[in-house]
Amino acid sequence: MLFNTIDFAIFLPAVVLIYYLIPAKFRWVLLLAASYYFYMSWKVEYILLIVVSTLVDYFSGIRMGKLEERRSRLPWLILSLCINLGLLFSFKYFNFATENLNVLFSKVGLAGKIPMHELLLPVGISFYTFQTLSYSIDVYLGRQKAEKHLGYFALYVSFFPQLVAGPIERYSRLAPQLRERHIFSYDNLVNGLRLILYGLFIKMVIADNISPIVDQIYANPENFASGHVLTGIFLYSFQIYSDFFGYSTIAIGSALLLGVRIMDNFKSPYLAKNISEFWQRWHISLSTWFRDYLYFPLGGNRVSKYRWVLNILVVFLVSGLWHGANWTFIIWGLLFGLIYLIEHVANKSLNLQKEHSAYSAGHLLLALKTFFLVTILWVFFRSQSFGDAMHIFKLIVQNAPSDPQQLMIPLSTWIFLLLFIVSDVFLYKRRFDSWVAGMHFVLRWTIYGVLLFGIVAFAGVENFPFIYFQF
Amino acid sequence: MFREKWTNIAIRILSLVLLFSGMNLLYKHVFFEKDLQKYSSIINLVRDIPAEADIIYLGESSNNTAREDDLDKRKISDFIGDYYPGLALYDLTKPAAHAGVFKVLLQQMPEENEVETVIVTLTLRSFNAQWIHSPLETSLQKSLVLLKPYPPLFNRFLLSFKAYEIKTKEERERDFKKQWVEDKLQFPYEFPHKDVKKWNRWMAYTGIMDEQGELDRAQTELACHYIKAYGFQIDTLENPRIADFDAIVELARDRGWKLMFNLMAENMEKAESLVGEDVIFLMNQNRELLEHYYGSKGVMVVDNLSCVEDQFFIDQTWTTEHYAERGRKTIAKRVAAELQTWYPEEYKDVGY
Repeated sequence: MLFNTIDFAIFLPAVVLIYYLIPAKFRWVLLLAASYYFYMSWKVEYILLIVVSTLVDYFSGIRMGKLEERRSRLPWLILSLCINLGLLFSFKYFNFATENLNVLFSKVGLAGKIPMHELLLPVGISFYTFQTLSYSIDVYLGRQKAEKHLGYFALYVSFFPQLVAGPIERYSRLAPQLRERHIFSYDNLVNGLRLILYGLFIKMVIADNISPIVDQIYANPENFASGHVLTGIFLYSFQIYSDFFGYSTIAIGSALLLGVRIMDNFKSPYLAKNISEFWQRWHISLSTWFRDYLYFPLGGNRVSKYRWVLNILVVFLVSGLWHGANWTFIIWGLLFGLIYLIEHVANKSLNLQKEHSAYSAGHLLLALKTFFLVTILWVFFRSQSFGDAMHIFKLIVQNAPSDPQQLMIPLSTWIFLLLFIVSDVFLYKRRFDSWVAGMHFVLRWTIYGVLLFGIVAFAGVENFPFIYFQF
Repeated sequence: MFREKWTNIAIRILSLVLLFSGMNLLYKHVFFEKDLQKYSSIINLVRDIPAEADIIYLGESSNNTAREDDLDKRKISDFIGDYYPGLALYDLTKPAAHAGVFKVLLQQMPEENEVETVIVTLTLRSFNAQWIHSPLETSLQKSLVLLKPYPPLFNRFLLSFKAYEIKTKEERERDFKKQWVEDKLQFPYEFPHKDVKKWNRWMAYTGIMDEQGELDRAQTELACHYIKAYGFQIDTLENPRIADFDAIVELARDRGWKLMFNLMAENMEKAESLVGEDVIFLMNQNRELLEHYYGSKGVMVVDNLSCVEDQFFIDQTWTTEHYAERGRKTIAKRVAAELQTWYPEEYKDVGY
């Protein structure tokens, strides 16, 4: 059940309505049932994975909670890690590993091939696996008390607004809100609807209208002139951003209707002054997860210079691999790590750490630089293989003038994209709901009108699932 | 305080109503036509029918598919028109269409249109599980969303929010395979196969032998196709095609049209030679059911099921309703003959 379908347009109001009508003590049952139903609408049998993950982490947590010594808790943490990461590996990375091993075997002259499976990747497996892992690790470290109520724990793992593509929430933030006896709030309703409206707009009007153009160019880049290939690369930056930002915004808005505040996942990342800031503004819930559960345990920056460099590269490499089982993602992650390190060195040696106030010329120049670098790296992210990515770059450098295939981009797509970019500049320091709340009634309703009309009359009609669902 | 709160809510509701009404007007007059041409160009088939048309023939690829060696490659509907030179007969042909599509197209027919008679193609195969769950269904359904009888903006909302059945090819395959198992076959005599899946498997394993006693793979595969295409018994309560044809009957009643269902010919000769009497039994049973069911609703059903010989079917390695010139003329002749009931004066025998 995608957020931008009629099914969800019926499902969400029904859940919200029943949620406020029933006694608070039964709400977890409703939300759990709704969340499982939501997930099962993709593939019924994959709910078993969530159930297994939930049960393993619940019982591991209970066992760890009863043990005083951290050392004695370790076997339970290892159990949780093995099962969760094992499931993730089986579905997401097994074929990739097998394929590469088979190539290696054939190169060293070993006969035989390891067979691959044809199982579909369960939607959102990387998201809920990381969410539930953070709980196990926190309980192991003593940062979090073990949850005794299986129902609330199951709901934490599967809470439908953020189940399939995040934001990846921590137990300490989400669980207390799920237990809270929320009273219907007009403000939450209005702000939630505002966020859903904006999220739908950027997903359906921006991302879904750009998507077929980008697909067309990436499918056969040699059919297009260099300028058009560049346009495709530029547009993909906005496609992936509006797609994922749109999803996250709808998720946050949907949760808010239920009185639950989910963390923000994006804060105008293309206005970041450097790569470090970009990752503080892009997919924030994942960046902070890697910071807390990988970078810090590796020693963070409280280690030798060389070890710190290694830590940075490891974090970015794992981040790349998290996105997908393909060398392109690994290269994408490593390149981010390298640029991060280069920027760090350059800032220090050239003394470029000067603070630029928001929207100043210096800020905008640095933002343009960051946008340029990120856009280049998205080519690896979007390409099917390293060769495909290099082919794209080659076509641009060759400056191929031939343009047998015309690129048709409707004027409305450019206009809406421009509106999105402008709105994103305004959202550098605040969220959409609070931004419009401060506006004059007439201006606010004009914005509602434009967004509504855009969604209804200009939404892309092809069925493009959210890009991050595949991760 | 209380009053002020409700006034605010009322203002907001009113604002929303005004907003939606204004947006609907804007969309209808500025953007709707462009969207229609982009996503539902099927509407043009209806628009091309002139107001003075007497008879409309709704067909799919059976109407306009011709064989290379045909001397006259015209449509079945053209041949029917030859019998009635004094009447204006127009066709509305959409490949892969079925009753669900015809229903929507007929709903689009302007009230001022003076059509008297509507002839709708009734393809037996369209009632089978494979056609009901065809991969083409998603795009067909999508092309009909903007034509729904709601305000244009609401239709566009339904299209934007994918308010039609979206299923992948794999999901649809799973659906019809499931139906092959769930629909149990019932014969008045002992029949060893309980459902299509078992029957098909038996055929695949047993096979058809050639003259040398060797397994003829091509013929075996074709026999399996015939089992899957015609191995079903129409359930008038469950089959979605029945619901669509029923809706067409209702619409015709409301609009005062004379309604004829043209039951298309299937290659019964080949079905019998490959699969045997059992599949013929099912085809005849379904034929009788359709004739009685729609006959009792006042529809004239023209039974062409077995009127075309094997040699006049274009596709010899697949199950289709594509006929060579002779086949098309045979069907046209039979339809034209039945039309005499309503137009005895206008009929001219053209000798097809």
